[in-house]
Amino acid sequence: MSFSLSTLAYKNIRRKFFRSMAISAAVMVVAATLFSVTTVMDSVETSLTRGTRRLGADVMVVPANSESKAMASLLAGEPSTFYMDRGIEEKIRKIEGVKKVAGQLYLKTSRYKCCDTGDMFIVGFEPEHDFTIAPWLAEALKKPLAPKEAIMGRSITAYIPGSSFQIYSELITVVGMLEATGMPFIDNALYLPIESFRGMVETTDNGTVNVFDKLNNEISTILVQTDPAYAPRRVAIFIESQIEGVKAIVSEDVAASVRKQLFMLLRSILSISVILWIMSILLISVVFSMIVNERQRELGLLRALGAKRTDIFKLIISEAAVLSMAGGVIGIGIGGLFLYLFREPIKAALNVPYMWPQPINLVLLVLICLFLSFLTGTLAALYPAVKSMRMEPYAAIRGGE
Amino acid sequence: MLEIKGLHKNYKVGKDIVKAVDNVSFGVEKGDSIMIFGHSGSGKTTLLSIIGGLTKPDSGTVRYGDTELWSLTDNDLSEFRNRRINFIFQFSSLIPTLTVLENVILPTAFNKAADKHRGIDAKDLLFMVGLQDKLGAYPSQLSGGQQRRAAIARAFINNPEIILADEPTGDLDEETEAEMLALFRKMNVENGITFLIVTPNTDIAGQCNKHFVMNRGILTPRDMG
Repeated sequence: MSFSLSTLAYKNIRRKFFRSMAISAAVMVVAATLFSVTTVMDSVETSLTRGTRRLGADVMVVPANSESKAMASLLAGEPSTFYMDRGIEEKIRKIEGVKKVAGQLYLKTSRYKCCDTGDMFIVGFEPEHDFTIAPWLAEALKKPLAPKEAIMGRSITAYIPGSSFQIYSELITVVGMLEATGMPFIDNALYLPIESFRGMVETTDNGTVNVFDKLNNEISTILVQTDPAYAPRRVAIFIESQIEGVKAIVSEDVAASVRKQLFMLLRSILSISVILWIMSILLISVVFSMIVNERQRELGLLRALGAKRTDIFKLIISEAAVLSMAGGVIGIGIGGLFLYLFREPIKAALNVPYMWPQPINLVLLVLICLFLSFLTGTLAALYPAVKSMRMEPYAAIRGGE
Repeated sequence: MLEIKGLHKNYKVGKDIVKAVDNVSFGVEKGDSIMIFGHSGSGKTTLLSIIGGLTKPDSGTVRYGDTELWSLTDNDLSEFRNRRINFIFQFSSLIPTLTVLENVILPTAFNKAADKHRGIDAKDLLFMVGLQDKLGAYPSQLSGGQQRRAAIARAFINNPEIILADEPTGDLDEETEAEMLALFRKMNVENGITFLIVTPNTDIAGQCNKHFVMNRGILTPRDMG
């Protein structure tokens, strides 16, 4: 029969169960907070990056009086309609620094009880000019969209590829699904070629109206891809100075503004977590000092029986590490569960694009939080461990009397 | 096997210097059974701790064969204690979280490289001290005397060259005390283990072949003829 130091460490942890639990709980709170906050920060960052990339446009041109509506659509995915003269598209195409231009026309369906799509954002795009949807189609669908075909954002749950639905007088078939971006504007929208709008007839109490005819000379947004030699911000200034009644929104600025606004809040929470972390290190350090004081004679006895200084150090550090790692694992679990259970309220409270981090980032965050948890215990127990290992065995034995 | 020369150890108590061990010199042969008598505070426990490598003397030497104990590094000293010495303390020296059996095999945890079969089987030892039915019991479930017997069993686990015993039968009843002293004698005679016992109890003097008295740190031989 053999016996190891880890058995002794394990039994010591069990000896004062509630004290051990309290130490783990302190680390658990820190780990849960750190994990939740960093995961949310990473999620927002991922969503902003992917969303901006997915949008594909460096600048979005909208009617001057519709900037807030456009931002609400872009960031919160709120279906809204705003229109400007379609001729602006050609004017923008001629502006210095503009490489590509594509218009999008927004339809909002719920108000009219016209369609079986519910409260959905319908975006009509121009296949001949588009540079945001088309690359995805080429990559994933391998063919352009035909009229009366649509692709949908990842968050739309009402349909699956292959299913059909009614918009006004037209039956539209879903042929594909975009990748999730975390940008509600993209994830909650249904995309179809503007041409599909052409036959749509809205029936009202006053008769029938052709939807497309009503919007024939209008466009909601003009997406601009700038020449790499020009900064998007500069091109936006050119657009606003040369065309009246429009607002040029720089995608990077939208992301940066959201990032700044949100990260200020999250950084405050993160700072509190760091303070909490330091406090728990101090608290655990005090508890471990008490523990080794209580066990001074035992530690002296172990030295008398042949334990080396490093054995004593390892014993105390391993106890601390096990407790803090246990706290870390549970804390990360609770943090993850919290994020999962409250994902909708969190999204609503943040009011920004939000999606789970990439698996690799999630693994990295878990590992970082586990490492910090491990560090919490080991740092806290470092001083008591060093003090104990340096003690002369006889003094330790006498000190415990 | 053991030669002690000119040991000094002083303690500062307030402004006073207390001479716990004052110029102690003596020799121990392999298989000796030595008893040091002395009242409480006479310095006998401090002397035992210096000989056992637990506290460093202010001056003097403790030589085991060719090895000068206090010239060893701390790691080597720990290893030396683990392989060649063992202790029986005057206090309850069992680890409360470990069972009786685990307490007995505890010294093996610090010497992975050692031959595990070098020592005596822990269960045999516990049988020898009459605790064969308490292997899985925790110290809190034992009487003071049973705890002491378990600590005695542990002292033999690494088959040490010398056992340093500090009032080893202090809280045993007369009958158990006699049994334990008989066990010491058996280990001394059959296994050649050397015993250095400190005690205030002169009634057990007959168990040893050499006797000393310690008073105010000074050790003097005594003929118990």
